[in-house]
Amino acid sequence: MKASDLLIATAVGAPLAMLLACLSPAIRKRMPTLLGFAPIPALAAALLADGTPLMFGNAQFEFSFAMDKPGAILLTVAAILWIAAGAYATTWLRNTDNAGGLVVCWLMTLTGCVGVFLAADIVGFYFLLAVLSVGASGLVLQGGTLKALRASAVYLGVALLAEAFLLAGLVMLALVMPHGSLLIRDAAAAISTSPWRDLTLGLLVVGLGIKAGLVPLHFWMPLAYDAAPIPASAVMSGAVVKASALALIRFLPFDAALPDFGLPLAAIGFFGAFYGVAIGVTQSEPKVVLAYSSVSQMGFLVAVIGMGLAVGNADAALAASFYAAHHLLAKGALFLAVGVVATTGRHRLWLVLLPAAVLALGIGGLPLTGGALAKLAVKPVLGDGLAGLLADLSAIGTTMLMFHFLSRLAASTASIPSTSAPVGFALPWLLMFVAAIAVPWKSYPLTGIGIGSYAFQPEILWAASWPILIGIVPMLVLWRWGRHLPQMPEGDLMTVGERAMRKVITWGYGLERAEGLLRRWPVATLMLLALAVFLGRMLIDWR
Amino acid sequence: MNGPTLFGLCAAALVGFGLYGLIVNPQPLRKIIGFNIIGSGVFLLFGAIARRGAAVGMGGDPVPQALLITGIVVAFSATALAVALLLRLFDEGGLVTLASEAPPTKTTADPPDA
Amino acid sequence: MSPSLSAQNLTTLGGLLLVLAILVPFAGMLIGFVFGGGNAQRVALATLAAGLAIAIAIANALAQSGKAVVYILGGWMPPLGVALRADGLSVVMLLTVAVVICGIGVYARADFGTPSGVKEARAPLIFWLLLLAVWGSLNLVFVSGDLFTLYVALELLTFAAVPLVSLDGRTETVRSALRYLLYALLGSVLYLLGAVLLYGAYGTLDIPLLAARVRPEPAAWAALALMIAGLLAKTALFPLHLWLPPAHAGAPAAASAVLSGLVIKGSWFLAMRLWFDVFADVVTLPAAQTLAALGAAAILVGNVVALRQTRLKLLIAYSTVAQIGYLFLMFPLATGLATAGLDSAMAVNGGMLQAISHATAKAAMFMAAGLVYTTLGHDRVADLRGVASALPMTVLAFALAGASLIGLPPSGGFLAKWLLISVAITTAQWWWALVMLVGGLLTSVYVFIVVVRTLAPAHVGWNPKTTVPRYQQAAVLALALCSFLLGAAVLCPVDVTQIGRTVSRNTVLP
Repeated sequence: MKASDLLIATAVGAPLAMLLACLSPAIRKRMPTLLGFAPIPALAAALLADGTPLMFGNAQFEFSFAMDKPGAILLTVAAILWIAAGAYATTWLRNTDNAGGLVVCWLMTLTGCVGVFLAADIVGFYFLLAVLSVGASGLVLQGGTLKALRASAVYLGVALLAEAFLLAGLVMLALVMPHGSLLIRDAAAAISTSPWRDLTLGLLVVGLGIKAGLVPLHFWMPLAYDAAPIPASAVMSGAVVKASALALIRFLPFDAALPDFGLPLAAIGFFGAFYGVAIGVTQSEPKVVLAYSSVSQMGFLVAVIGMGLAVGNADAALAASFYAAHHLLAKGALFLAVGVVATTGRHRLWLVLLPAAVLALGIGGLPLTGGALAKLAVKPVLGDGLAGLLADLSAIGTTMLMFHFLSRLAASTASIPSTSAPVGFALPWLLMFVAAIAVPWKSYPLTGIGIGSYAFQPEILWAASWPILIGIVPMLVLWRWGRHLPQMPEGDLMTVGERAMRKVITWGYGLERAEGLLRRWPVATLMLLALAVFLGRMLIDWR
Repeated sequence: MNGPTLFGLCAAALVGFGLYGLIVNPQPLRKIIGFNIIGSGVFLLFGAIARRGAAVGMGGDPVPQALLITGIVVAFSATALAVALLLRLFDEGGLVTLASEAPPTKTTADPPDA
Repeated sequence: MSPSLSAQNLTTLGGLLLVLAILVPFAGMLIGFVFGGGNAQRVALATLAAGLAIAIAIANALAQSGKAVVYILGGWMPPLGVALRADGLSVVMLLTVAVVICGIGVYARADFGTPSGVKEARAPLIFWLLLLAVWGSLNLVFVSGDLFTLYVALELLTFAAVPLVSLDGRTETVRSALRYLLYALLGSVLYLLGAVLLYGAYGTLDIPLLAARVRPEPAAWAALALMIAGLLAKTALFPLHLWLPPAHAGAPAAASAVLSGLVIKGSWFLAMRLWFDVFADVVTLPAAQTLAALGAAAILVGNVVALRQTRLKLLIAYSTVAQIGYLFLMFPLATGLATAGLDSAMAVNGGMLQAISHATAKAAMFMAAGLVYTTLGHDRVADLRGVASALPMTVLAFALAGASLIGLPPSGGFLAKWLLISVAITTAQWWWALVMLVGGLLTSVYVFIVVVRTLAPAHVGWNPKTTVPRYQQAAVLALALCSFLLGAAVLCPVDVTQIGRTVSRNTVLP
């Protein structure tokens, strides 16, 4: 086995082995202290592994894992986030007596997350995605409240719905793959020549879009991120949700221009980008505001992917990965900041708030931050037309939303002014802050999208600055008159869904009564005879 | 009308009677008897088929007769088992009916928790 | 007679094993009956081990020879004599049943041990004897090569299964048992009528001979319709499921596992055998669509009604009603492939995998429900708090079995779904794929509800009513794992189920 194979194997194997070790209660009790170490092999693999795939299985069926460029970018930053959030979770778990559930779900989610980033065959991808969804819904459940239960149910339900679409799409894809190959890298080519191209693409996009939190199936996001424990929200909003974006990047055929798919996808994405902002500013809970910012940012990311697909821009894959990577770092860091602020008194607040402000505005594209680079990276994909304008508008909106977040964050400090956050919270947060600033700068030239010094040119700086400056204006308006805004229920459209659910439940009641009728003896026996006659009729061949 | 056809028609009539009893009669004992009447019809049909095979030139097809006897034994055991359950039901509740299925006016088909 | 047909009429190496597979359980039953009391359990457990070994040996013989294992009883050739045949499908079912019965046997040691100090207790004695009887009858269903022997086997199966329902002797369960028996008898009499018609038309009931002689004409249509309808009644395909929920939910857990996991597979297997191996030239796509339409209705209604159940065992019983639906989705898919001139193996494999994964998963689920009942003293779904802390392995097993029913990878249910959806798309019958996907979602709802309810912390000061032995939990988990890891069957180097299935391919229209 080569070194690269070994790296990839341990990246997935380490968290899996730790998960299996949790079967022993004694080890499970000690596991919380190890959470931060589980993703280290994944980080090593992301930095060191080359592109050769790792296969195991036999001639009938092979699982394969491989590192491609988008995967490497995202796995690097995801591993950093998992490490930081794991360390945070270790401290967080000290205060709870029932750590087992969170540890198991954590490791399960981690295994699924790293696995999905590395999976190179369709079946393995689907399998690990299911592991990821089940694990993540378990993480939400660890909030322990009734709200968490509801959020977890919604999360799992939506995830399984998405996976049903995905399964149909993947099966259709597998049927047209050349020579029965199941490798994802053959998928894009196979889709563009498939006789069911539109349906396959539609199913994949809908399935992955739901998992990415596209409006109108985004409502699970605010529910879940609010209900989950802070470190879980951090990894879910940062790393877990990127799995679907990465899958979109890998499956969609960027070589062929498909405006019929790309443009609607981009439109839905942009709609989500603005919708997330619009609902987000009505929320008061910092975690919920961040969650709506995720809805918005994932919408923007999907819009980038959609535009790339529409014009057949093969660079879109890398640009979107880079954008996703930055969002992963920044959003993960901000969620940790919410936890840090909640345990910090007013006296030391600025120590957290200032870096958080840099990161938050970075998501809006603040110059010299990673966010500015991310915007720069996707600019060529979006072009200067309508999409470019929408991107600028979305940057304005994001800035506004982020100011709103900062004001809500500042209001959520610990009640005693002199408290300071435990080191176990502050250090991971600091690590994430540094990573969110440094890693984009470090990796920007490596990705080959452009060179870093380009970002210092005055016109580029200005292009990144003006949306921020404009974003301040509506923010001031919001601060002044914001309390008159209608309060949207958290998980907005979910309330509509719940009404529909109630309707379904009444139908279920009717169905149950009908079923009770069918189970009466005379009815059932007559059905049997009728069935025999009907079958006989159906067997008659009229040829 | 030749013999086998007549037997066949009789068999069909027996099956019909039996089915009617099995479906319509609420008392389990009558249902059991209904089942036996259907069984007799099927066996009669089998006998007629054996006879028809014999008409081709053989003295009589022995296979159906062997199967028939087995079938009768099976039907007998089935009846015995059903009657045993019926007696048990009678001993336990005194009320011999199959109608534990809830009438459609009630809300649920569940028996209440024991 | 074509050469391939006569080749099927020679006793092959290992043919005697088929006789043993039937004889050993029944012999065990008789010996257990003679010695009685606590000895019955000892005899039964020894028989379980022997039976498992025999099943493995048959599988080995099949894999070694690559041909069906055949035994001609008494050297009498069909059509006069009777043959036992085990092709790939039979062997896979034999193995599954052996594994599940062994799991149930281990589990039932705690529930049906003869109490010390008592010479003989009724329920344990009857349970162990009937367990063996069910096994023997099922083996006979799987290896029998003659439609009348199959009738007898089915009746034996019913006679063994019915008393299992009313093992505890409560009025309610006796009534369920009687209803089950009467409905099953109606089904078997229809089957017998069909068999009689076939004999009248073709002069044989031997499967390969019949497959060669049967042709699309009124006698065959009537016979097939009657036989299939009768078998559906015994399988409890919606809307013929009136007997299933009370019978399966009322029986003791170990018995429910036998009934729900295994017994219904006997008649299903026979329906499949008839459809694909005997009447391959008679069946039509519309008829197959009818079966699958009932299956789809079963999936939707069964799952929704399961959701509305307040008791765990009834919930699982309705889940069985739904899962039976999946077993019939393969019919139009395989027939569709055959009409298109393609190999129907993929659809048949999908159906078989569904059956195996349901057998293991449902047995595990019912046994898990039994443990929950023992621990809590009730099985109300609304109040399962504390179960996860008292029975962690059982909850894990329930979740894994549930994942298999939902069709999450790497379970057998997933592989089955993948195969069946593939065929549905290839044969342009996408609506069956839709039904499978929706069914999976509905299943996930009640699995989630149950698992989450068990995770809730117990009341302060609550203690389990009875402590459950570890080996019971282990048996449940083992069966659930079998189901959950069945997807690994994809790694199997040969297509086991298709070995020796020459019957359908040899048929030529005369």
